[in-house]
Amino acid sequence: MSTLGFSEEQRDCLQEIINVAMGLASDKLARFLNTFVHLQVPSIALVGASHIPAEFENRYQDTEAALVSQGFFGNEGVRGEAIVLYQMENAHKISALLGYEVGDVSEIEMLTDISSILTTTFLNGLADQIENSLSYSAPRVLSSAKGDISSLLKNTSFHWEHALKVDISYQLIDHSFNCDMILLIPGEAVTNIQRILDRILEEY
Amino acid sequence: MALPVLICDDSLLARKQVRKSLPESFDAEFQTAGNGLEALAILRSQEIGLVFLDLTMPELDGIGVLEVIKAEGIDCFVIVISADIQPEMKKRVMELGALAFIHKPVNEEKLHSILKQYGLI
Amino acid sequence: MPHAWLCSPILSQLNSGVIVVDDEYQIHYLNSFIERHASLQLSEVQGKSLFSVFADLPEAWLKRKLMSVLDLNTPAFSSWEQRQYIFKLPHLRPITSSSQYMAQNCSMLPLTAEHTEQPLICILIEDATDAFVYQQHLSKTLIELERANRQDGLTKVLNRRYWEEQLKQEIHRAQRYQHSLSMILFDLDKFKDLNDKYGHLGGDFVLIQLASFIGSLLRDSDLFGRYGGEEFGIILPDTALEGAVEVAERICQAVAEYPMLFNQQTIRASISMGVAELLPKQHLLHDDLIRCADMALYNAKRAGRNRVCSYLAGETEYQKKVN
Repeated sequence: MSTLGFSEEQRDCLQEIINVAMGLASDKLARFLNTFVHLQVPSIALVGASHIPAEFENRYQDTEAALVSQGFFGNEGVRGEAIVLYQMENAHKISALLGYEVGDVSEIEMLTDISSILTTTFLNGLADQIENSLSYSAPRVLSSAKGDISSLLKNTSFHWEHALKVDISYQLIDHSFNCDMILLIPGEAVTNIQRILDRILEEY
Repeated sequence: MALPVLICDDSLLARKQVRKSLPESFDAEFQTAGNGLEALAILRSQEIGLVFLDLTMPELDGIGVLEVIKAEGIDCFVIVISADIQPEMKKRVMELGALAFIHKPVNEEKLHSILKQYGLI
Repeated sequence: MPHAWLCSPILSQLNSGVIVVDDEYQIHYLNSFIERHASLQLSEVQGKSLFSVFADLPEAWLKRKLMSVLDLNTPAFSSWEQRQYIFKLPHLRPITSSSQYMAQNCSMLPLTAEHTEQPLICILIEDATDAFVYQQHLSKTLIELERANRQDGLTKVLNRRYWEEQLKQEIHRAQRYQHSLSMILFDLDKFKDLNDKYGHLGGDFVLIQLASFIGSLLRDSDLFGRYGGEEFGIILPDTALEGAVEVAERICQAVAEYPMLFNQQTIRASISMGVAELLPKQHLLHDDLIRCADMALYNAKRAGRNRVCSYLAGETEYQKKVN
């Protein structure tokens, strides 16, 4: 993270805000799905977007994976794209929890629903803490095909300089559900986020 | 006399937030710990009146700290301040003898009313 | 709010639908776009249930979406690509679109009522008919493109690349299920003379006519392709040598008796045909089978043209080449 100019204090601040956002999101999800969500501390890392495809290549190599993208934008130049990655078998588990029955809706719709819920609950919790509010574009499924996740990520992250990688693992009490969330953030938005973090740090 | 208070959270920001949320009239002497083990070292060696305790921490988490406090009969009030705010978690924490369970981000009014309720301010 | 007066004219001019409902799905507001497209008046439907006013809505599905908006305080979305429309509304392109109803992108956003703090949901409906029509054209074009990619431009039979691919697959299938497989290679006799006499247009005309005529004599499962200039190939799945020779004889005779009228002149043509059957031990590659049929074809030429020759097992060399 230091390579991109985040100070230790800024990193600590961002991690805490993300932890709290995760807590808020998990609580909402637990109530909505009527189950207990075992919360794990999300690990965050700010990396060059070009490194992202290789990082996820191995994890999704031999499995049918889906990639759903959703844009977000708020005040003070906070904007980016949230990517949710998961293995299809996991998606089927959570769709059952959401009350979908087989053949009820198309697979693509199920994927966009799950991803949108995960992304917007989390990002809303984040926005609340930095006294911001976010708008979202409609989620888009970029793939549900086998194997080819790294080339898809390559195409997606091409336009972005930095990526805030948030590894989120949702584990539900009777089911385990894992997914990865990546927030792709353009260079100037990273600067804007740093400014917001500094303001929060000044307050305390 | 100033109350010896321990703020235990792995995040510097969170420790500062707790301190900032306390009323000015709160007469206390603060110490901080960055994880559960550090907190126990202080609790075992000194008289601490009140602990603000985070749950998710490296080394030893807040649940672990509560278990040791209960097992060893350490005499102190514990207010849990947590990002994991599900009702299940609150239940566990209260069963382990915590005084109160406060959600992050900390709501000042709620914190004050709890302190008042237990005669700490 | 200094610009509050703008809301009303913009809402009424907006080229998107806006519907606001509460947590019991009662309609609080809808804008002119919806009023006009659905032939409704806000005053008539205010306070009524969304599902009674729009009786065609996918109720269970929409309720689940709206519930998540209320419970999680987050937006929900629906795209025309998954669900072409939610509200059955006519669109403004009745002539250029094949669809009867407006394709829609919908966003469902959480709101809070100003004074009562009652939770509300704003449903935004965007007309996506243009994208829908565009997508339909695109899929049609892709299908045409795929066909063009398989076809020989002049004769409309399969092109050589695709035909050879099919041959490989058919050989694979025949070997796997132990079915017989035969192929015919044929060549127009003295095509150079035809070209000299009637010009290249005349030569092309003959190729087109014969390809279409021979195509009409084949089974649906037979695969007919253009192998080279005036050379064609037919793959006959599930057919042993004897059956393939019969087919070839029939085609050969029919072609010889088929007059073609070009620029008020009658053209007659004949073909020479070579037939070969897949021999599992000898034909390991599709090239081997083609070579055998080719040998038989040259034998047919050498024996005087306008006839069928079949490949005899064990032949390894071309006979002396003749035209």
